[in-house]
Amino acid sequence: MKSGDATAINISEPSSESKVSDTKGKSTTAETKGKAAAGAPAVATTKATKIARGGWKKGLAIFDFILRILAIGATLGAAISMGTTDQTLPIFTQFFQFQASYSDLPAFTFFVIANAIAAGYLVLSIPFSIVGIVRPNIVGARLLLLIFDTVMVALTAAGAGSAAAIVYLAHTGNSSANWVAICQQFDDFCQQVSGAVVGSFIATLILMMLVVTLALALRKQC
Amino acid sequence: MKAAGALEVGEASSRASTPGRGLNRGISILDLVLRLVAVAGTLGSAIAMGTTNETLPFFTQFIRFKAQYSDLPSFTFFVIANAVVSAYLILSLPLSIYHIARSSARGSRIVLTFLDAAMLALLTAGASAAAAIVYLAHKGNARANWFSICQQFNSFCERISGSLIGSFIGIVVFILLILLSSIAISRR
Repeated sequence: MKSGDATAINISEPSSESKVSDTKGKSTTAETKGKAAAGAPAVATTKATKIARGGWKKGLAIFDFILRILAIGATLGAAISMGTTDQTLPIFTQFFQFQASYSDLPAFTFFVIANAIAAGYLVLSIPFSIVGIVRPNIVGARLLLLIFDTVMVALTAAGAGSAAAIVYLAHTGNSSANWVAICQQFDDFCQQVSGAVVGSFIATLILMMLVVTLALALRKQC
Repeated sequence: MKAAGALEVGEASSRASTPGRGLNRGISILDLVLRLVAVAGTLGSAIAMGTTNETLPFFTQFIRFKAQYSDLPSFTFFVIANAVVSAYLILSLPLSIYHIARSSARGSRIVLTFLDAAMLALLTAGASAAAAIVYLAHKGNARANWFSICQQFNSFCERISGSLIGSFIGIVVFILLILLSSIAISRR
């Protein structure tokens, strides 16, 4: 009986050690050795696979955190860049407006609001992301973040798309509708606005990568 | 003794996963139904926008009196985006049916989630670009001297406004699809 247990422990120990050697935590090696010596071999291998899964998920959680910081930068930059547009031309007639700011076009107002909401949400989601790093096997917080990240993808894409349509119109005009291209007069305004749209599209891309990262981290097995 | 223990563990796990497997199957069926709804929405939007053609019965030298979707590049992008998304949805239907049959397919679900997120972004960008131009067509913009063309082209305006609805339904459906896929991934 005792020799049977000893051979069982010997067979499981190398496999549990090889699984744990892939992870980063050093204290877990001592844990699995102690557990393998004390309990049944099946318990030791399941604990070893849980810790191996945790290490891989921790990498994903750190990547998620980094992506969130980048997305905050992108959305905040886009909102500020669009929100601080104010160009006044030094010339003057009765027919044209010679002052351009984001509030003149409702699509730009929506753009600023959408990016501000996305930036605010991302800042609030940082604690949940940190919880995901500390506890790699958490499911509830990740699912919540995934739902809201999906909604934010839609929101930032909507803001970026509508602003892009207006920016394109401002650059090229439309002869069929008799809409004149205003960018030829308002250079700085157009540049700032175009930069903001690019930043928002980058934010949408980062949020899409966040959705995929969270979906990968939600899996129960490697 | 080890084999008996393993057999017990195996039996217990199969007993515990049967109600879970039922719920996963329900999620996959709901996924298929939502995909069909989204196909209808996006295809309808693409066709409704793509068949716009209104000619007014009078005539001057200064203003055009014919309006169709290809006059505005945002609408062209809208039609293309909706067509691409509806083609993707039709191609993803077999994969969705496969998920109903085999609830434990994880890799393909993640691929589907990734593609769904990409299509969500594309659809939303197209729908919002068209919505911005539709808003401009309805209200015009005094500061940029862009006048509202809807006052002349009534049926064109109605058609383009209505075609946005199907696209926005598609957006909501995609958000639900990603949510369902993530729940299914986290349960197995």
